[in-house]
Amino acid sequence: MLKGIGASDGYGIGKAVVIDEKKPEYISSKAEDAEKEIRRFEKAVEIFRNTTQKKADVIRREAGAYHAKILEGHMMMLADPFMQDEIRGMIKTGVCAEEAVDSACDMFVSMFSRVDDELTRQRAADVDDIRLRLLRILTGVSDAGLDRITENTVLVMKNLTPSLITGIVKGKVAGIVTECGGKYSHAAILARALEIPVVSGVRDICSVVSDGIMLAVDGFRGECIAEPSDAEIAFYTEKRKVCCEGKEQLNSFRSKETFTLDGMKVKLSGNAGIPQDIYEVRKYGGEGIGLYRTEFLFMNTDGIPSEEEQFEIYKNAAELMDGREVMIRTFDISAEKNISCSRLIKEKNPELGFRAVRYLLEHEEIYRIQLRALLRASAYGNIKIIVPFVTCPDEIRRVKAIIEELKCELDASGVRYDKNIRTGVMIETPAAGIAADLLARESDFFSIGTNDLIQYIMAADRDNAAVAYLYSPYHPAVLRMIKHIVDVGRKNGLDVGLCGEAAADTLLIPVFISFGIKEFSVNASAILNVRQEIGRWTKVQAENLCRQIFSCETEREVYDLLKKNARDNI
Amino acid sequence: MISKSVKVVNENGLHMRLAGIFAGEMSKFKSNTVLLVRNNRINAKSIMHIIASCVKGGTEITIECSGADEQEALARAVELIESGFGE
Repeated sequence: MLKGIGASDGYGIGKAVVIDEKKPEYISSKAEDAEKEIRRFEKAVEIFRNTTQKKADVIRREAGAYHAKILEGHMMMLADPFMQDEIRGMIKTGVCAEEAVDSACDMFVSMFSRVDDELTRQRAADVDDIRLRLLRILTGVSDAGLDRITENTVLVMKNLTPSLITGIVKGKVAGIVTECGGKYSHAAILARALEIPVVSGVRDICSVVSDGIMLAVDGFRGECIAEPSDAEIAFYTEKRKVCCEGKEQLNSFRSKETFTLDGMKVKLSGNAGIPQDIYEVRKYGGEGIGLYRTEFLFMNTDGIPSEEEQFEIYKNAAELMDGREVMIRTFDISAEKNISCSRLIKEKNPELGFRAVRYLLEHEEIYRIQLRALLRASAYGNIKIIVPFVTCPDEIRRVKAIIEELKCELDASGVRYDKNIRTGVMIETPAAGIAADLLARESDFFSIGTNDLIQYIMAADRDNAAVAYLYSPYHPAVLRMIKHIVDVGRKNGLDVGLCGEAAADTLLIPVFISFGIKEFSVNASAILNVRQEIGRWTKVQAENLCRQIFSCETEREVYDLLKKNARDNI
Repeated sequence: MISKSVKVVNENGLHMRLAGIFAGEMSKFKSNTVLLVRNNRINAKSIMHIIASCVKGGTEITIECSGADEQEALARAVELIESGFGE
């Protein structure tokens, strides 16, 4: 199993074609006749425009005018006076057209890459795409081997570029696997519009896989399997079929609320790890943000993100969700991973180490900035604070004491905030789970973080393949723990939400419904699936199945029984 | 030279597609148009300049036009930004 990020939903199986996207080589020569060289450049631009316009026309037909604009944007970028002057200016100094294009593009790539904004940084990929195509035209090197595509091809490449994806004949490419790139690249957006499954960020895929090898691509989970077994091929073929049929039906769930079959209201929210995720959650009809991870704030900075910067981001989230709940998890950071300015502490066991609330309570100056920003932002919508990695009640007590102090500060300076802002605990350690009754006295709500909870209950590192069989939500120990937490929460009158990968596992939905969980938070792309699945179960049906589940003794038995009773056999 | 301050209403700011429309429209005028974003002066006829300046939604920007048709250019620029490009 090769892990990456799901950049475009769907399932696909086919034979690998590895695309070589190397920049065509050219000899940087002094151009004798600058005028002639400029004409050569102009000719290349003209060819670029013609081929790009053709591709844009295809996209307009297949995916609509909105998406065709991405390619038209490439034409505009190249026609840009700033870009043109740069290239022409260089040619006039005696540089050949290839080198002028190459270094002008370099300049723009580094200009875009420096900006502190994910969307803008992704535009660097567009400039790279333009460069590649222009250099191909100038050097006469043909396209990257798209002629090798036959029926059911899975393309494997370093980077997916918009022009490449539009060069693909729809229906022939079953899926795409890339080493680099993210969900917000233009290429990924186009892939989603064309409904081609994409898994991005799979390390070394180009060297691991060679032409002709079978690949199964799971764009939902961001996984692919090289040389799948017959059983796996049958599994993914079936999934693909059902997925295509289900897609249309699923779309009808976008604007709906979430109910069980017998009419119990469930709140189905979406997760966010960067601000752009919020737009995706809204797109899929998420009823709130159930988990907003804030560590991204450390990605582009060497220091501590300022109160103003944080305030703007939290406020923006609150406003975008327009009164719906935005549950923001405070930093799950450690000195080693996030804060390059502080002295490095090498930990033998960082997962069990000095992180999240433990770290923040020792570095109150960092925590105070975040909590103050959260309080200020709470005036603009419905913000709730989740404290991660809690193991004992005094931690949450100390956090709440800081919050109370900050409230007094804000009162004194007349700054608005939500006076009833609620603070809850992310239950993700066995200690927090077992002693949930003690934490309940200090918390306004519980949010069960299944990803870490499973890892700590099973004492199995989820990234260690040798113990991966233990890292599973179907283990009786895991299910008993979740049930315990929900029971304790309910007894104490707390709302209990569930997040993590398990929350989006449709097999487990009846189990969670029978526990009485009424709040789920899943990745945006899973919202419609989960909403549909919740609507397939009544409480009584779920409870009947759950009783049998609790008599199972092994993970396998649980899985098999859930599978046998699955409503959707995707 | 005339100028006016406006607020960018599009959620995602002046991203590539909108930057393209804006630069394209401004190029139709003879006047030079400059966007003042934070402390930077951005050539409004350059899609690359606009993208690189990363104008986010909600940002207050000042549009400056100078030239023979500056009235018309400024009116069009303000109209585009304030209407959210009709989106």
